[in-house]
Formats: sequence, C-alpha cells, structure tokens
Amino acid sequence: MTYPNPASAIEITGLTKDFSLNLRGIKLRAVENLTLTVPEGQVFGLLGPNGSGKSTTIKIILGLLEPTAGECKVFGVPSGRVDSRLNVGYLPEAPYFYRYLSGTELVRFYGRICGVPRKRLDERVREVIDWVGLSGAAHRRVGTYSKGMLQRIGLAQALVHDPRLIILDEPTAGVDPVGSAEISELILKLKTQGKTVLITSHLLAQIEDICDRVAILDRGKLILEGAVDELVGLSNRQALIVDSLPAAELEELRGWLSARGHALKAVEQPRTRLDQLFLSKVSRPQKGGEAK
Amino acid sequence: MKFNLAALRPLWTGLLVVAALAVTGAAIRPFEEPAWQAVRAQQPALKLDSLQGALGQGITAGLLGGFRAIVADFFWIKTNSVWEDNDLPATQTFIKLVTAIDPRPLYFWQNGSRMIAYDMPNWRIIAAGGYEKTPQAEQRRIDEEQSAVALKYLNEAFGHHPDSPLLYVEIANVYLNRLKDKASAAEAYRKAALLPNAPYYAGRIYPELLRKLGRHAEAYAWLKQLYPTLPKVIDTAKGITEFQVQSAMAPVVLERIRELEKELNIPQIEVFKP
Amino acid sequence: MSTVSTPTTPSSSAVGMRTVPFSLGRLGIVAGNTFLEAVRQKLFNFLLLLAIALVASAQLFREFNFGSSELKFISDFGFGAMVFFGSTLTIAATAQLFFSEIENRTALTILAKPIWRTEFIFGKFLGVFAVVGVFCALTTLLLLALLYNRETALMAADSEAFEHGRIIQYGDLVLLGVLQWLKFGVLAAITLLIASFSNTNLYTVVMGFFVLVICHLQYLARDAYAQVASLPLRLLVRLLGYVFPNFQVFNLADQIGIGAGIDSGVFLRVAGYALIYIAVIGGLAVYSFRNREI
Repeated sequence: MTYPNPASAIEITGLTKDFSLNLRGIKLRAVENLTLTVPEGQVFGLLGPNGSGKSTTIKIILGLLEPTAGECKVFGVPSGRVDSRLNVGYLPEAPYFYRYLSGTELVRFYGRICGVPRKRLDERVREVIDWVGLSGAAHRRVGTYSKGMLQRIGLAQALVHDPRLIILDEPTAGVDPVGSAEISELILKLKTQGKTVLITSHLLAQIEDICDRVAILDRGKLILEGAVDELVGLSNRQALIVDSLPAAELEELRGWLSARGHALKAVEQPRTRLDQLFLSKVSRPQKGGEAK
Repeated sequence: MKFNLAALRPLWTGLLVVAALAVTGAAIRPFEEPAWQAVRAQQPALKLDSLQGALGQGITAGLLGGFRAIVADFFWIKTNSVWEDNDLPATQTFIKLVTAIDPRPLYFWQNGSRMIAYDMPNWRIIAAGGYEKTPQAEQRRIDEEQSAVALKYLNEAFGHHPDSPLLYVEIANVYLNRLKDKASAAEAYRKAALLPNAPYYAGRIYPELLRKLGRHAEAYAWLKQLYPTLPKVIDTAKGITEFQVQSAMAPVVLERIRELEKELNIPQIEVFKP
Repeated sequence: MSTVSTPTTPSSSAVGMRTVPFSLGRLGIVAGNTFLEAVRQKLFNFLLLLAIALVASAQLFREFNFGSSELKFISDFGFGAMVFFGSTLTIAATAQLFFSEIENRTALTILAKPIWRTEFIFGKFLGVFAVVGVFCALTTLLLLALLYNRETALMAADSEAFEHGRIIQYGDLVLLGVLQWLKFGVLAAITLLIASFSNTNLYTVVMGFFVLVICHLQYLARDAYAQVASLPLRLLVRLLGYVFPNFQVFNLADQIGIGAGIDSGVFLRVAGYALIYIAVIGGLAVYSFRNREI
C-alpha cells in the first residue's frame, strides 16, 4: 500500500534520552536513536512493553522532557517550544483531574489555558462535552465520576481547543469493553475529521482495529514500524468465509484447488471476537454517563 | 573515574541560586538599611545574659526571632498570677524579667514599681505577724527597703523612657506616699511638670507641696508662670478638648494664686493679672 | 454516545504559525484555580478558624484589668496569632498545592498545554499569595474590630488615659497587616523555590520552616560578622547575612499596641524589600522548575 506524501504531524530524528542516576557516569538510557514519523491524518499506535520508552517519547513530544540528543518536531515546530503544543491535545494515562471542579468547569479551565476565545468558549465546551457523551453529568463534580467518565472528560479537555494532533496514553486502561468500544469509535471519528491520533496501549487487539500504522519499541529502540495491514497481514494467503459445506463438497473444493496448484491450508469454524460478542449482548449506557 | 556532568545539574542550579540570592542581598542592603535601622531603634538591646537562666531555649529563640512583645506579655500575665498569690520572690523576679525582655511599654515599669512599693511591704508586714504585732520601726524599715528597690527600678526605666513625665510622677508618689518625703516628692513633681505631655495635676501638686514645706514664694512664682499656659476654653481648632479644660482646672489654679497672694501679703497693685 | 461531530478544524497553517507570548491571563487562570483549590482544603479552614479563635480570645484580657494597656495585649496576641498561623499556612499550603499537582499528575496535563512553566509557577505563587491575603485580611479586620470596640469601651471608663484621643492608629494597623502579607509572600516564594527541586511535600515543609527560622535570626549573622576572628568563618557569616532575607525588618507590629505608628518611608522600603525578594526568589523558582523532569 502506498501513501501520497502527507505532511508529518510528528517528526522524530535520532532521539536519545538518558536519565542520570548518579555522579559516576551511570545513566539509564530510556530511548536510543529513535527515528519516527507520524503522518498527519492517521491513527498511529505506539506499542511496547513496560519500560520500552513509550512514555518518555510521549513526554518529549509534549515538551515535558528535553532530549539528550536528536530532535522532535510537532507540525514542524520543535517540541521544546510552547507553541508546538497549540495544536496538541493530550489525555494522560489514568487521568486525574481537579476533583472539586465540575465537568464543565474543568473543560472550561483547560479551554482558557489553551486560548479558546472567550466568546466561543461556552459553546465549544458544550460541544465537546456533548461529543464525548457527558452532557448529563457535566454539572457534577469530577470527583464523583467513574473511570470511564474520567476518560471521557479527559478526552473532552484534550479536544476543547480543536487540536490537529491528539495524543492518548493508554486511553482504555481500566475501562470496561463498552467504554473501550466507545472510545475506539471516538478515535475513528477524529480520524474522519482529519485529526492525527497517536495512541499508546497494551490492548493489541484494539490497536489492530483502529490504527493505520504502528511502531513497536523495546528497551528504548524502534523494533518495527509500518502499516498495520502490511505488518499483520499474511500476504501469501487468503481467507474465504463460506456457508457450512458438507464433507463431500469440501473434498470437491479441495480437489479443484489442487488442480490449480493451490492447497487448502485449513478448514476452521470462524470465530467472532469475544469483545464483539460482549458488545452485542450488553446494553450501552444512556447519554450522560453511568453513576459511580 | 569519569563523572556524569548532567547529574551535577542540581548542584549547579543550587550554586546559582545561592549566588543570585547573595548578590540580591548585597545589592538590596543599602535600600533595606534605613528601614532596618528604624526597626532596630524601636527595639532596645536584648540583654540575654541576664535572661539566660530564667528562660528556656524555646523562649530565648522566640525572643531572638522577634516575638519579644508577646513573650513579655505572657510573662506579665504570669506576674499577675504570682502577684495574686502574694508570692514576693516570684513577683519580683517576673517584674524584672518582663522589663528585661521588653522595656518599651511604660505600663510594665509603672505597675511593676507599684507592686514593689505598695504591695510587697504589705505582704512582708503580714508575713512578719501583721500590722498589730509588727513594731512601727520595723514597718518603717520595710517601707524604706521596698521604696528604695522601687526607686532604683524606676530610675532604670529612664534609660528607655528619658522623657516620660509619668515615671517622675511614680517616683514622686513613692516619696510622698511611702517615704513621707515631701521635699523629694515635690522635686519629682516639678521635673514631671516640666516635660512635654505632663499630666496637669503634676503642675498643681508641686506648688501644694511647696506650700506644705513653707516655701510659699516659690509656690506663688510657679503658679503665676503656670496659669497662662493652661487651657481655659474649648477650642477644637487648636485641639483643646473639654477633657483638657477640665483636667487643667485653671480656675482652681487662679484660686490658689489668690490664696498665696493673701498669705504673702502681695500689694493689690502687684497681684497677678490673668 | 452522541453522534454529533466536532466542528471542523480551523485553518491548519494559520494555527501552526502562531507563537505563544507570555500571558498574564493564563497566569491568572492558574492562580484562580490554585486559590479555589486552597480554600477548599481543610488546612486553610482549620488554621483560619484557629487564628480567629485566638484573636477573639484576646477578649479574655479584660479579666486582668490592665486598663488602657489591655489594647497592647490584644494587639500583640492578635499579630502573634497572625504571624504564627500565617507562616504555617503559607509553608504548608504552598508545598501542598505544588505537590498535589506533581503527585496527582495534573501538572502533566496542564504543562502539556501551550503554557509557559513560568506562567504555571507564578500562577501557583499568586494563588497562594491570594489565599494568604484573605487570611491576613480577615485576621486584621477582626483585630481591628476587637481593638476599636474595646478602645471605645475603655475610653468611656478612663478618660485620662485617652486624653489625647485614641491610642491605636488604625490606619497603621491595616498597613502592618499588608506588611505581614508581603512577608508571607516572600515565605511562599522561598517555599516554592524549595519545592521546585524537592522530591517530597514533607521535605519542603520541613525545609520551609527551617529557612523561616533562619530568616528571623538572620540579623544575628549581620551583627556577629564583625566579631568573628577567623576569615573563612567571617565570610560564611557574611554570606549567610546576604543570602537569607531579613524577616525582622517586618517586625513593626509591637508599635501598634503602645500607640506608636509606622513611618510611611519605612513602610514603603519594607514593602519594596518584600516585592524585590518575591520577584527574585520567584524567578529562581521558575529557573529551577524549568529543568525539572515531570
């Protein structure tokens, strides 16, 4: 699959980050010589085991850490600059917000920080809260929110200033399958609106379903990077789903394929996914969010 | 062994902070100095040696830390407490401790001297068997002893309140009420009356004492120069209040002048004309 | 889940070219949020109530029959309560409000926005400064009311002592409240500087109190400098005298109780002294925090 040459949302070149442990030269190398490009308008997954350097990379992109070597740019602006974050929305892992603010107040607070014009602010806050499905709970204090609601209000604060790039750090960690599916839907909607989404997650099945490209890190190094279809697809195989065939017809098919130089590698009963089965059976929460 | 210079960053930052603060402190010192001298002038030197034994380390730190007034207040309350128990040694100790900690309030000196001059003789006489049993000579000796302590204490106060007429009034009262020394009391009242913001009664009691001592001419001369200085009518424009007019008692002073003119046989042509 | 879509993205190239100048508005937003967080904390309410109780308990001095000098006792205890509880509140609140952002990782969320670290730190400082300002204002007003009420009663009972009018200079009492507030501002800046490199709330609070004591005793180093024989020790003592601000210079409250006021020149110098230190120490806190890895 080829891509037209899109603009890059994130460009990382030769990025290295060392953390100093003591005076005697012992360092912890969290990221080593990472070169990575996140094309604009795609959903990009950043994967890796714990300690692989994902969080460090995210923090450097957000300007929260300085690289030891190399550079990182967000829409062409060095990530250490404050203005690089004008176009970035961030949802941290296991988000924690000011408990005493209501959902509306929280999003409004971050909207003001991000410079959303005052005359647009109220309308914009209502829009994003409605978009994440928390209109009914927006008046309640964030301290009363469930984990799923926290994720959604977190997404709202990340979107309030209409950023071009949204970074989601483990957005579905600790969230039930229903909430997780809803967040996946939101991410895909963002993509249809031309947003770039960078997502980190341990839930590989979810990454596979929504990401266009992924990068896998291990011990600070880039191990693998590419389009999901290209990476996981078995290019020399095809899967055909048919109605149940009686044994005789199955043998006939096998023979037909063999005559043309192909082999029937496997005959299996297709499986739906457990999360899809769950979603089809369980009722979704009403708009406004579930109570804690 | 090579060093990780990046790990030294906190050290560089710390040194920079110390250097920046030192430079700021040095640069700002000329600006701060006049204000600091003004604050210091309001705080007499703390004689820690005299206090060391009486105070714990916490109190000493409190004094040094600028809480003198509140520490002195606390000990004054303690003074009142031991005074109510008629505990002479403790009362005497706390009185001196309070003014050593904070000599600025005149109140401490005045009330301390009164406790020494008026209450302590009473306690000592009662402890010696009471007024009935204690010989007059012994009572007189106790009065003189305590009055001497009170006068010494009040004279020490002048080191911190050189222009206080009220201290002279306290001294005068000790001479008059405890030692029955009219001459010394008169002199103290005179000194009080000559100071700014002296109570009006000081200027009246002095000539009264002179009369009792047979020094009528001096009393007459004093009252004649006093009368014109007294407020006689309320004048808000000049800041003369009703209270001041009443306290000054100008008509009473004029009356005393007339009495002395009769006693001294002053010719009519030479009488004082207000 | 709602199916309403987000509005369309504004012009990408125009947004991408914007710079982010330093903004007092953003600083104010952080300050406002910090203030809101502080006044909801039990610590603030507890210390405020305690200070109010102590100031009000100055009424008990009536029992001792001190006459007009009762006003001195009320004033001394009132300012003493303000200084003691105000210092505790300043150090504890600054440390708590800073570390709650670090420990709860709300600092991550906010610093990932287009906001300068300078705006964040100064915003936190201003929030604490505002909280302490409310504390000082309330305790000063209470003290003022107590003194005024008591002085009125004493004037009726003892005209001679009030021959020259009221003893307490109420305007100067308010100015002293302002000076205490500014002193707490310096203390908050110091605490924030410590917090900017400290790892824990506890360490920050302990060091804050330690520095508070040193600042109150700094004048001893100034006085002792000339008497120290050893040159290295003399230089060290001199350095101590320069590094730490002199908190004794704010010690003017004693004058109120004995009827003396404060000179306007002294007030302006002390106020200026405080503001300069707030700016310098606050700037150092920003510098230290810039390099902190969140």
